[in-house]
Amino acid sequence: MQRKSGPDGALPPGSITFSDMSWNRTGSWRYLKPKFVRKFSPCSESCPAGNDVEGFLFLAGEGRYEEALAKILQESPFPGVCGRVCCHPCESACNRRISDDAVSIQGIERFVSQFEPSRPPQPGEPREEKVAVVGSGPAGLSCAYHLRRLGYSVTVFEKEDVLGGMLCLGIPRYRLPRRVLNRDIDRILALGIGLETGRRVGKDMSWDELLAGRDAVFLAIGAHAHVGLKIEGESCQGIMPGTGFLKKVNLGLPAALGRRVAVIGGGNTAMDCARVALRLGSRPVVVYRRTREEMPAIEAEVQEALEEGIEFEWLTSPVRALVDDGRVAGLQCTRNRLADPDDSGRRRPEPVEASEFVLDADTVITAVGEAVDLAVLPHGLKVEKGVVWIDSWGRTSMERIWAGGDSGPDQRMVVHAIGAGKKAALSIHATLRGNDIEGIAEPLRIGSSGSFSMERYLQGEQGGAVPVREVVRPEQINLDYFEHVPRIVQPRRAPSDRVQGFEEVNGGYDKNDADLEAKRCFHCGTCDLCGNCWRFCPDLCIRSGDVPGMNLLDDFHCKGCGICAEECPRSAIVMEREL
Amino acid sequence: MKKVLMGDHAVSHAAMLSRVQVISAYPITPQTYVVEELAEACRDGRLKAKFVMVESEHSAMACIIGACAAGSRAFTATSSHGLALMHEMLHWASGARLPVVMANCNRALGPPWNILCDHSDSMSQRDTGWIQFYVESNQEALDTVIQAYRIAEKVLLPVMVNLDGFFLTHTAEVVDVPDQDQVDAYLPPFSLPYKLDVEDPHSFGAICLDDNFMALKHDMQAAMDLARDAALEADEAFAEIFGRKYGLLEPYRMDHADTVLVTNGTITGTAREVVDDLRRRGVSVGLLKVRMLRPFPFAPVRSLLGDRERIAVIDRSVSYGLAGGLACEIRSALYGHDHGRPRVFGYIAGLGGKDVVPSDIEEIVNRTLTYEQPPRDDIWIGAGT
Amino acid sequence: MNPTMDPAKELMSPGHLACAGCGAAPAMRWALEALGPRTIVVMPACCWSIICGPYPHSALRVPTFHTAFETGAVTAAGIRASLDMQGLQDINVMVWAGDGGTFDIGFQALSAAAERNDDIIFVCYDNEAYMNTGIQRSSATPAGAWTTTTPGGKIRPKKNLVEIMAAHRIPYAATASIAFPDDFISKMTKAKGIKGTRFFHVLATCPTGWRIPSSHTVKLARLAVYSRAFPLYEVEDGERYTITVHPRDLPLRDYLEPQGRFRGLTKDQIEGLQEEVDRTWNRLTRLAGWSS
Repeated sequence: MQRKSGPDGALPPGSITFSDMSWNRTGSWRYLKPKFVRKFSPCSESCPAGNDVEGFLFLAGEGRYEEALAKILQESPFPGVCGRVCCHPCESACNRRISDDAVSIQGIERFVSQFEPSRPPQPGEPREEKVAVVGSGPAGLSCAYHLRRLGYSVTVFEKEDVLGGMLCLGIPRYRLPRRVLNRDIDRILALGIGLETGRRVGKDMSWDELLAGRDAVFLAIGAHAHVGLKIEGESCQGIMPGTGFLKKVNLGLPAALGRRVAVIGGGNTAMDCARVALRLGSRPVVVYRRTREEMPAIEAEVQEALEEGIEFEWLTSPVRALVDDGRVAGLQCTRNRLADPDDSGRRRPEPVEASEFVLDADTVITAVGEAVDLAVLPHGLKVEKGVVWIDSWGRTSMERIWAGGDSGPDQRMVVHAIGAGKKAALSIHATLRGNDIEGIAEPLRIGSSGSFSMERYLQGEQGGAVPVREVVRPEQINLDYFEHVPRIVQPRRAPSDRVQGFEEVNGGYDKNDADLEAKRCFHCGTCDLCGNCWRFCPDLCIRSGDVPGMNLLDDFHCKGCGICAEECPRSAIVMEREL
Repeated sequence: MKKVLMGDHAVSHAAMLSRVQVISAYPITPQTYVVEELAEACRDGRLKAKFVMVESEHSAMACIIGACAAGSRAFTATSSHGLALMHEMLHWASGARLPVVMANCNRALGPPWNILCDHSDSMSQRDTGWIQFYVESNQEALDTVIQAYRIAEKVLLPVMVNLDGFFLTHTAEVVDVPDQDQVDAYLPPFSLPYKLDVEDPHSFGAICLDDNFMALKHDMQAAMDLARDAALEADEAFAEIFGRKYGLLEPYRMDHADTVLVTNGTITGTAREVVDDLRRRGVSVGLLKVRMLRPFPFAPVRSLLGDRERIAVIDRSVSYGLAGGLACEIRSALYGHDHGRPRVFGYIAGLGGKDVVPSDIEEIVNRTLTYEQPPRDDIWIGAGT
Repeated sequence: MNPTMDPAKELMSPGHLACAGCGAAPAMRWALEALGPRTIVVMPACCWSIICGPYPHSALRVPTFHTAFETGAVTAAGIRASLDMQGLQDINVMVWAGDGGTFDIGFQALSAAAERNDDIIFVCYDNEAYMNTGIQRSSATPAGAWTTTTPGGKIRPKKNLVEIMAAHRIPYAATASIAFPDDFISKMTKAKGIKGTRFFHVLATCPTGWRIPSSHTVKLARLAVYSRAFPLYEVEDGERYTITVHPRDLPLRDYLEPQGRFRGLTKDQIEGLQEEVDRTWNRLTRLAGWSS
């Protein structure tokens, strides 16, 4: 290096500097290089409907509710429904649980569902193919919704006169008000979907008739058939199936309950039956064979039932119905203890010897599960374990027929049904286009759960950070950057008040609470421009990108120290080995 | 205006007349009157300057280095141990090419403790890149400090003005104190080609491990070479305004002198008397006063001493294990000289304030004339040997 | 927060020679960010003498004067005096010294400047040993730490320099950390508005000397604060103590264990160090009026 002369060309006296160090390529010191990435958040990964949970929470946190709603509608047409009755696996997966409590994702979804989406869903470019959807429950309507967005003409066949399947007939209104359900359904129908209500395919019309002139059928008939208790005296008067009971109440028909109602089962249907019975003036008791821990019902439902004063007989199984004059007059029960776990992973109940007792009951509602009505299925359709056999993309054993929802092997939760419908839509689309579904789906996957992003399919990758197929683990979150903030509880009407009728129990967040709650999100795996990487970089190597929401690395100077990745609160930077 | 001033006060007057802007110092005998006067002047408004009272001489030098780098004319004064403590920062001042000026009141270094005059303090600092002057009188002290700023700011090297402790510092003489207007005409306002300036940011003294280091050091040596001419120019210009002139060397009665005494500092005054006396007695002896020690005036030393027979150099310090420093330098100037080869006799005298009286100098001349060749070691006068 | 992230606007350039993950680099960035371009930096011998880069280049885009090891404070005092003589009272003069140039060789001049209350900002970026020369102990090295000159671990605790500086009754003395940028910058901004000697003791992690991965620089600095090994506080006028960042209830062990320099410590020794930290913390909380 030669001595540098001063601005006037003369040699400066002494060791005086004339330029900075930018010329020095300190990037050559590096063997690891930071990369800005977008990872999957565990909430998004665990959402069977494939919602970009982190994405809509970010928009909601910024007060951009209309955009947040539009984001949800990219993946699921049921924000109003899921904002109320979803079993929210997203919250169970939320990394915030290692700090305090999961973010109330459902509460935020519910809050934003009341707005109008910034971009209403649109039907896709019209295609020639026609698809029939059988059943207007969450699976059927979800499938119809996505198929319309993909440009297909869709007709929905519904055996009842009302749409929504279990959403309408099964779930009580104090949990899901009818106007909320209708709002979601109306938004779906606005895409231009044909409707045939009051027609039962396989009974009122044949499958062949349906298939004629149609390129594909999505079978989503649900599981409405009664599953009995298989106990002595079960066929007497006063013992009724839970779904039938709920349907009657939801349609405004008389239910003929007695004074003391025993509800058998531990799922959501059982909780619904007990709470509806209470609201109709009876004194219900829930009989469940395991303990509260093992109950499949959503925890909040159990909690609310308890608040409302519903009695529970845990570790109890009915053995025999006591019949008096053809009518149930009590229930002989046995106490159980829990033995080793069974196939489901839950501890198996085992009767305790000589523990039988009589439970006072003049009505028994059975809610121990529902079965698929196999009689109405197309002839020759493969059935396995009582449900329609499908592969991982909803394809049945018969060409042109897809299936999903409660009639398939999926978990019988609303959000799983929504996901099944969406999955079938993409699968039908791939088949009709002559494409390999795996090839299409691979880049759309959200983590390893099997859910995928329709937004990415329809709109392509949103610029910025490089997406990587990794779900952020809780230990990858830098908790030092998050204050402990407890979850905000949604206001619920007082138990004494709510049992008086069918008004909605949950009041939902107001704007202030929704705002605070949305801001609790860690934004796992997605840069929210917090600036830590820039702030701490010893080598001034981070700058704002040209695209908003994106940072850039100066790799001429970056020494690869890794501080940016370590101090990224949300694991949106990874260090990659460089050769 | 003529005043009766001690050497210390001649120096402080010179600093004031040079309009120094920052002063920093630590007290040490015999320098104290210099800084006391300046502190007083800052307080009473005779001088518009900041006086930073530091906790050590090391800090005093660091302080004026900073002040100078930031664009102010800066001054300090010290002595002996203080100068020794400054050693590191002397290098820093010259290496940073900062034209600061310091008065050093020559004093012996302990142990044993001694507060009196010799030159071991400043002679130990000859390699630090400072221009060095040794003065003979309080008038010369005052004039040389003013000249020092003109030289320093021309070549961007620091200047040390040495005056003998007590013999000058605490001795009152009549001094012609120049008018401020005249000094202002002689000494332009302070400016540097580069200073610490937020409008034009540069760094000073960044690490340098490549060839540039030697290039920068060579620049310092070149600046030292320029300093001789700069000092002559400063002296000429000074003479024009003030009517006094000193030169780098001052020959005294050297015409046809076979033997020449070489001195610096206050011994010179005594030696003048001795030379006058010996000349009257027919001894062919002259005197050469070395005013500027760094840069060493090689060429004039050669031309003035090259054709003499015997040279007697009186040193007020010793490079232990070698000889008196001034003698070594005279010898090095004359070695390889075309004209002949004068015999150089080295004498050590006046350490720790021991008076060098006329009889000592006469003995030195006698010894010089007696020996055929200089003895291998320097001759100590007054050491009881 | 969405900051505008533009390195071109910074007063420090990339390409500097700090080791990867150096804690002293962000410290300088933030100090200059708070003080702005009308700042002169005085740099006694320290890691930053090298980090700045070689002649004729400098990573700092403000005037910088490199000076001898022990002269940081007084060189700044000289610059201050000069600027004052030139009517440039608004320019900040900041000394940027390591722990050696502050706690040890630089202490005499620092104490003198503080006693004079010279109008300068003195920042000690403390990496707790002579790192530039290869990890030799300083009086800022904490007890228990291995260095090349304390092969068995240092016995005596670190000097409490902020208290010493506060005892000079200077208007402002504070600790700061490279893990807490907001606290750092707000203290520096506050100090900028005060006249007189302002002292900063910044814990600046050294991955090389502390024997930690370069990516853990900020993390360790944060653990130091959270475990109370290095509390963040300020002292105004030598007497008003304010703790500015609440520590978390972490044992000292959490801070020591990730560092190779403390690897030789036994459980008993760690307990002893914990007691020392507790004592110092209790003293600080008393001074800050948190406890009596």
